[in-house]
Amino acid sequence: MDFRFSDEQEFFRSQVRDTVDRLVRPKVREIDEKDVFPRDLWDEMARLGYFGLRHEERWGGMGADTVTSMIFFEELARGSAGFFMSVTVQMLMGTYFIGRFGSDAMKERVLAPAIEGRKVTCICFTEDQSGSDLAGTRTSATRDGDSWILNGNKQWITNGPICDVATVMATTDPKAGLKGLSFFLVEDGMEGFRKGQVFHKLGTRGAPTGELVLDHVKVPADHHLGEETGKGLEYSTDILNHVRVMTGLAACSIAEEAMRDAAGFARGRVAFGSPIATYQLIREKFGRHYAKREAARTLLYRVAWMIDQGLECRREAMAAKWFATEACLESVDEATRIYAGNGFSMEYAPQRFFRDARFLLSGGGTHEVLLNFLGSQYLRG
Amino acid sequence: MKIAVLVKQVPDHEALVLARGDGTLEIEDRWATNFFDEIAIEQALRLEAVQGGEVIALSAGAGRNTDALRRALAMGADGAILVSDPALAAADGLGTARALAACLRELGPDLVLCGRVALDDEMGLVGPAVAEILGWPHVAAVTALEVDGKAFRAVRLVEGGRESIEGQLPVLIAAAKGLAEPRVPKVMQVMKASRAAMRTRTLADLGVDPGSVAPLVRTRVFERPPARPPVRMMEGEPGDRVRELASILVSAAGGRR
Repeated sequence: MDFRFSDEQEFFRSQVRDTVDRLVRPKVREIDEKDVFPRDLWDEMARLGYFGLRHEERWGGMGADTVTSMIFFEELARGSAGFFMSVTVQMLMGTYFIGRFGSDAMKERVLAPAIEGRKVTCICFTEDQSGSDLAGTRTSATRDGDSWILNGNKQWITNGPICDVATVMATTDPKAGLKGLSFFLVEDGMEGFRKGQVFHKLGTRGAPTGELVLDHVKVPADHHLGEETGKGLEYSTDILNHVRVMTGLAACSIAEEAMRDAAGFARGRVAFGSPIATYQLIREKFGRHYAKREAARTLLYRVAWMIDQGLECRREAMAAKWFATEACLESVDEATRIYAGNGFSMEYAPQRFFRDARFLLSGGGTHEVLLNFLGSQYLRG
Repeated sequence: MKIAVLVKQVPDHEALVLARGDGTLEIEDRWATNFFDEIAIEQALRLEAVQGGEVIALSAGAGRNTDALRRALAMGADGAILVSDPALAAADGLGTARALAACLRELGPDLVLCGRVALDDEMGLVGPAVAEILGWPHVAAVTALEVDGKAFRAVRLVEGGRESIEGQLPVLIAAAKGLAEPRVPKVMQVMKASRAAMRTRTLADLGVDPGSVAPLVRTRVFERPPARPPVRMMEGEPGDRVRELASILVSAAGGRR
């Protein structure tokens, strides 16, 4: 058992950290306040090659392992949460099914430009009546000769309002529930494919999020992403594990940023004659944060390692995501308390961490759904 | 043209640095390449792009500096040499300069670039000391540099104007802010640099007597800055507050108006 990162991984982390410090962090406040997608930053991160971290080298990728890519996600989350959302959708869910099931022609046309940042991608699970409950998916795909006809309405799609291509989950057999789901590639400009309402969000601002409408969209047969129809859920297992670990590590980073910032405040703020950092009730908050973040990171990187080893880790990934996110919500809350009145002010940072942390709750499954599943698994038989 | 760049690893700008009660420093384990050294690397790479040749990064220490060298490789340096020796752990600026100068004699560059100062101890000593040991000229705090064949022209900002210095290679140039904006390395280069083999030279390899790098300067104690006196808030009507403040300032100035 060896819990250390290798020298190569440590060096990689230091370089990503420097890149995020230099390029992303100076723009965090502006991205949040203006709620505008930072296209120049997007282009720069793409030019540096980060979007291809997980993809094959022949399409411009790096073929990095899961632990390495998670180090990148953890460091990226120290910057803008909105930018983090857009980038992770592009690097993981938005391109995953194209990379796994697309033809070489499709990869050349869609994946390579996505890695270069020239095409923006998104993934479409959520609808107005379903999110974590994928069996409730209403968007339908009907076979029509050599094509598929897609009908439906997708909601809360990160990158949706600016997307060039979308990976859409649809049912080919509504009666089959979870066993009727498949993924289809839909491209901007296809007849009947329309970008609807853009949502205004509490946090992760700067990541354009909204509605996508599919009204009799005809897609060629090779745009079905998968070997067989109805296996969409099975194909998602691996990427959902990734998403959960990535979300958990984002939670660790947001919590750490909030508490490091709060530590600076606590050392400088004097009350009753001493810096508030000297009071035990304030120290306790940092102690709890430290302990929970250590536990969460250890669990999350273990799951990342399990993914690299090809081990089954669905439950561990769910547990890690839940634990890390709940710990983060506690820390960002405590950070606002340490700032007291100033924690309620839009002029100081704690409110941004407090808002951004909320997005972690639903990504990768709501905590109610995750805990219900884990509990039912525990009680089986 | 063969260009050598001297680089140093320093605590990250966000690392916590605390003066302990016993007079030593506690530094959080977060490190970065010295800011001015990155400017030097960038300038070296730009000269190489125009003139050809190679860029070799050098660092001396007891081990930690490998990441600063890998940073140089990730930015595009062609090679890196670590002068590594346990005797260097306690070395001061002059000792470090002796080790680096010995390595540079072996390497034989036409030009040496370094940062004007390291952001940890802020001594700004090693670069000029290396030049003195080699018997080379040096120009400090350079904001513009041109090299044409064996001739160079360097510009430094001085109070109220710019100083332009011309001379012949070899020379040591210490880079200041404004010389070149360091590039952010591409991830592919970062990955390659993380696995790159590092050339290591010990003091014995370089024929340097470990006794000659023993420190001449000894740090006695690191002390916390004195606590600030408490802030006093004026109270009362604005006019009264201004008069009170003015009288405090006058008495602090010894009664002179």
